Amino acid sequence: MSAHHNNDSIQHLYEGDQSKLYSGVLQHHTDINSTESKNQVSRIWKIFWILLAITVVEVIMGMFFSHSMPKGLVNFFFLGLTILKAGYIVAVFMHLGDEFKGFIVTVLIPLVLFVWFIIAFLADGGFWLHMNSESPARQHIEAEK
Amino acid sequence: MSQTTVVTAANEPSIWGGGRSPYNVSYGKMMTWFFLLSDALTFGAFLIAYGTTRFFSAVWPDANQVFKAFPFLGEHEVPLLFVSLMTFILIMSSVTMVLAVHAGHYGDKKNVAKWLLWTIIGGICFLSCQAWEWTHLHGECGALWGAFTDVNTPVEEYRHFFGHKSLAFVDAHPLVAMQSSHNFFNYFFTITGFHGGHVTSGVIFNILILVNTVNGVYERRGHYEMVEKIGLYWHFVDLVWVFVFTCFYLL
Repeated sequence: MSAHHNNDSIQHLYEGDQSKLYSGVLQHHTDINSTESKNQVSRIWKIFWILLAITVVEVIMGMFFSHSMPKGLVNFFFLGLTILKAGYIVAVFMHLGDEFKGFIVTVLIPLVLFVWFIIAFLADGGFWLHMNSESPARQHIEAEK
Repeated sequence: MSQTTVVTAANEPSIWGGGRSPYNVSYGKMMTWFFLLSDALTFGAFLIAYGTTRFFSAVWPDANQVFKAFPFLGEHEVPLLFVSLMTFILIMSSVTMVLAVHAGHYGDKKNVAKWLLWTIIGGICFLSCQAWEWTHLHGECGALWGAFTDVNTPVEEYRHFFGHKSLAFVDAHPLVAMQSSHNFFNYFFTITGFHGGHVTSGVIFNILILVNTVNGVYERRGHYEMVEKIGLYWHFVDLVWVFVFTCFYLL
């Protein structure tokens, strides 16, 4: 954690370089060849291989199985794998997983809006599908052809 | 602000009492996250609009038919291969970016510069791939914003975008299929274009921080937080591609 400052001694930091307020920002390590550093690098490469493997699975499914399997199941797989990939990128590559829990929640909560967006727009799309395929106006147009 | 400080039993000032960052995140980094959040909502709006249009269309182009070309291979049937290469390049550049951020944590100027350079190369490769794909779709398929609106367009010009199961419908209702092709490409060029614009600005930001790194700006400042912030942006661009890839090429 950052060192405690009293309010007077930090005033100048607000006006200029704020970085010294946050211990996480300063270069807090010195030896890039240390075991800790090497562990972090190997974690990065591990996530890379996981992301690559997920993408390969997705492409193989898209090429060979997406036409022979039930569409709903395929979409469920694709969306699940996409969210898994997104989770790895955000948690490890963007280091959100290393932040304080309160900050993680602050960033993620607004994304809950997407649940409503998707429900609302699928409902809207369903209405238009109905209008396009079954509405009297459409039948009138078809009959005139 | 009130001068009273909340004092806990252990005589510790509250973490919200001022004088330190409760989340231990700097202003710039937090605002980068909030900017990315707003950008995510923009991209989300684009993709949901695409999804809605697709959902209410009676027929929709098949990605395996539209995206099956590869440079120098002609019109061979290699669906998804080229876009897989693009995805690989972008994931790879995300790894080099996170390695630059990692080197920055250790104040290792040489490695920051090295990995930033690789990230820039990856970004340029991705943009080149996208330029090829757009050129191919425009040149050989006649697709661009506003294409496929003329009712006199022969059905052969857009029939090949559709999968085998849809062909009977396409032949029976060619104008519905033409409208779908029009919508598909409008969304495709808008969304990949907006994403490509993000990649372009990301490459420019990366070049700027590479110049600063080499000139020792961050070394004198004592930290490489700017690399971290640009890194967040770059990873976000990769993140968006994961969703674009799923929505346009897989689903």
